[in-house]
Amino acid sequence: MIDALTSRRFWQDFDWFLLSVAIALGTIGLIEIYSSTLNMDSASFFLRQLVWLVAGVGVCFVVASVDYHILAEHIVLIYVGAMCLLVGVLLFGSTVAGSRSWFGIGSFGLQPSELAKLVVIVALARFLSEIQKRYLTLPQILGACAICGAPVLLVVAQPDLGTALTFVPILAFGLFVRGVRPAALISGVLIVIFLLPVTWAALEDYQKDRILTFVQPESDPLGSGYQVIQSKIAIGAGGLWGTGLFQGSQNQLGFLPTRHTDFIFSVVAEEMGFVGVCVTLALLLALVFRTLSLTLLPGDTLGLFIVLGVGGMFVFHILVNVGMVIGFMPITGIPLPFLSYGGSSVLTAFIGLGLIVSVRRCRYVN
Amino acid sequence: MLQRNELELLNSRVTIILGLVLLAFGVLTFGFWNHQIARSPYYQQLAERNRIRDIPLAAPRGRIYDREYRIIADSRPSFNLILTRENSARSVEETIDLLAPGIELSAAELLSRIEPYLDEPEYEPILLAEDLSVDETAFVEARKYELSEISLELSPRRRYERGEVAAHLIGYVGEITRSQLESGEFVEIESGDVVGQSGLERQYDSLLQGEDGIRRVIVNTFGREMGLLGEVQPIPGKDLVTTLDLDLQLAAEEALGDRTGVAVAIIPKTGEVLALVSRPAFDPSLFAQGIRQHEWDMLLSDPRKPLQNRAIQNRYSPGSVFKIFMAAAGLEEEEIGFEETLFCPGHAVFYGNRFDCWRGGGHGAMDVRHALVESCNVFFYNVGDRLGIERISRYAVMMGLGRKTGIDLPGEDAGLIPSEKWKQSTSNTRWFPGETISVSIGQGPVSVTPLQLTWAIGGLVVGGKLVQPHLADPEFVAPLGIETSGLRTEEYAIGEGTVDTIREALWGAVNDRGTGTRARVRGFEVGGKTGTAQVVAKDVDPSRPDLQDHAWFVGFAPYDDPEIVVGVFVENGGGGGAAAAPVSQAVMQVYFDKKGGLFTQGDVNDIAGLNTETSIAR
Repeated sequence: MIDALTSRRFWQDFDWFLLSVAIALGTIGLIEIYSSTLNMDSASFFLRQLVWLVAGVGVCFVVASVDYHILAEHIVLIYVGAMCLLVGVLLFGSTVAGSRSWFGIGSFGLQPSELAKLVVIVALARFLSEIQKRYLTLPQILGACAICGAPVLLVVAQPDLGTALTFVPILAFGLFVRGVRPAALISGVLIVIFLLPVTWAALEDYQKDRILTFVQPESDPLGSGYQVIQSKIAIGAGGLWGTGLFQGSQNQLGFLPTRHTDFIFSVVAEEMGFVGVCVTLALLLALVFRTLSLTLLPGDTLGLFIVLGVGGMFVFHILVNVGMVIGFMPITGIPLPFLSYGGSSVLTAFIGLGLIVSVRRCRYVN
Repeated sequence: MLQRNELELLNSRVTIILGLVLLAFGVLTFGFWNHQIARSPYYQQLAERNRIRDIPLAAPRGRIYDREYRIIADSRPSFNLILTRENSARSVEETIDLLAPGIELSAAELLSRIEPYLDEPEYEPILLAEDLSVDETAFVEARKYELSEISLELSPRRRYERGEVAAHLIGYVGEITRSQLESGEFVEIESGDVVGQSGLERQYDSLLQGEDGIRRVIVNTFGREMGLLGEVQPIPGKDLVTTLDLDLQLAAEEALGDRTGVAVAIIPKTGEVLALVSRPAFDPSLFAQGIRQHEWDMLLSDPRKPLQNRAIQNRYSPGSVFKIFMAAAGLEEEEIGFEETLFCPGHAVFYGNRFDCWRGGGHGAMDVRHALVESCNVFFYNVGDRLGIERISRYAVMMGLGRKTGIDLPGEDAGLIPSEKWKQSTSNTRWFPGETISVSIGQGPVSVTPLQLTWAIGGLVVGGKLVQPHLADPEFVAPLGIETSGLRTEEYAIGEGTVDTIREALWGAVNDRGTGTRARVRGFEVGGKTGTAQVVAKDVDPSRPDLQDHAWFVGFAPYDDPEIVVGVFVENGGGGGAAAAPVSQAVMQVYFDKKGGLFTQGDVNDIAGLNTETSIAR
């Protein structure tokens, strides 16, 4: 691993394009985090995010230097370790906003569920890569579901439904690409539809509210609908060129909710306008396409499914978060990778990036 | 190891995902285009509305003065409680539950004030309570950060230091009603604004109102002010100087006391109203503080109807006072001669009906002077019979009756002078000559407002000149932006002999052995005429107070060149000489004393401080 970092080859093969895109996104996020916390302690928010971004880049290099085959080899051990962390956080974690999902380490916090996501990506990739048939059998599908399901159940128990949901696209992308019979695909969709009412009954009231107000935000303009309405106002008020940095009234006067974390994209839209939105969306699209197009290159299926998993995670985060700020998706506490304020989110994204680079670098070994 | 065809298979599936991702990004981009380009102006407006709040700065209403610049109405600062539902962290009910303990109004009353506005946009402020007490203000002030949806608004409030004095003339102010808002009568007035609702407050509202200012501020999500964008200072309302003389007004109010009635004093040559009293009165301050429902109900249900301005809004039979107009018409039409005498045997028969004189034994031979002095009915029955209803009607209307005087107060009644045409159109029957006999002594369908009668007699005794009665001179208010066509002045032809005869006769009625001797003022040559208007037929039990006759007196002085005319009306007051003439005396006495420098201004405060009890013997 240290050998790799010192070798010239590593630096030549490194995916500088992907890293540049990630740093560009991180910079946009950093600027708007500063802007949206002006009337709080903006220097502190800015510096922390900067530290995480720098640390993220470092972690990215470290992860990239590790051959993903080695990770896959020891994945069972790592998986069990991650499960232990998830159980541990349920027992000893600190409660933030009603969810027991954090380990406090000094003033920094660690969210084991984010780490578990990456572990699941590699575990699932190994599981799927060892199957070489056109279509998966039912036991195989159930096996894949089990790999995902165990951490999901532990995350739901925290309870953190939003993060639990982010495991779903990893599984879905993997199963779809590995191959599910059309009949099984359809019956799977049907089962989900039939389970909806059951799920609805199991939801907490605030979760039902969020879904109801997603359908009709004006029904509760002061409650759950308030955030969506204010976010849409911020976006619309931005216009073509935006209100200018530090000039967005929705942002600066506090009308936007959780604006430096979940709603950071609304701040981008208000202060940088449609132009800023297009640039940011283009960067996000470049990130996703660069990632997923790696799967189109020849290589082993293990690498393909790892890249696919990371890509699925990115896609899901981006579509759900950006969809949420503009009212196309219900409100879930899912951050925007590289932009939203938060150490766990930033580090997870950069570790994912490191995995991709690792695959790109090591896929011909064998 | 990967087989080529398998890789292709997996790649084809990844391509499907890429296609879907591209589609999803396309949809998102369209969403942003729709918000940021297509509908941007709409959202910009919403953002503005979020951040900008216009705080009204209420303009103090102008003061109302009497002719000697003594304040009748002015303004003082006060605080209103305002609710703005927009951006509130709690429901209206929750807000009210938090407020109710510190506010005099109950939670139910507060809710009922909000209900009519629930359909209005949420950023529209709703007035919850007016003129908070010191304790209430402190309660709200202490919670202003906790209850960000609640604010205090400085609002100057009307002050009427003299209580009921000149109440009907001032009128009152109140929050504009929904129907008034929709009528468009008031320009540049918004919901919650206070406007004049009656009297001078209403008549000259546009002058007194002033222009509210605006403080445009930037607020954050908690409604806290973050900066000032601009300020337009309110323009205070303009002051109104009236023709009223507070000394005369107070004298008249005191003289009328608790009785139901009217006293009016006018300068007939200029139309200036010196005093205008209607009793019982109300306290306009009740309205200035935002009248409580039960207080309003009490005023409305009071059988004595204190809200009515009887001087201009009620019509009454003029009784014997009408004989003055009969005398003038008879002389002008030469139906009676100046020296001609008629014999009064105590009654007379016309068209088969017997009509009595008030003196059963009769007055004997009477000329027009004596007939007026002694108020002989039979004499005027004859005059009326000779003139006929058409000529009576024509003269009465010419001399100012049966039509609005045009005083600058809202809600004036026109009174009624009957004619053949009127009878035909209202009851579809023709006029019977017998009806004319009753009209001749001011009974029957003829009716007048007290102001009208006073004004018409004033016009007659100055030689046939009617100047529109007024409390504010058009020459004074026109430069202040009030549309006016100037003072309407009418002159009608009437012989000097007729006027002199009437003036002399009416002097006699007060100073000779007439009916109005209690209107005399030492040193001031007063003329006048009493009247007693029957409420119902005489034979009903006369002891019932509500069936007592109405008492009239209209006087003027000096009789040969009148400067002032005073009309007094006392509802169910009995005889005019006893009930009404002393009120005129009190007013004229003050006028005369002021003229002679015997009356000092300081007295006005003493009088205002007194309980307005009748100090004049009835």
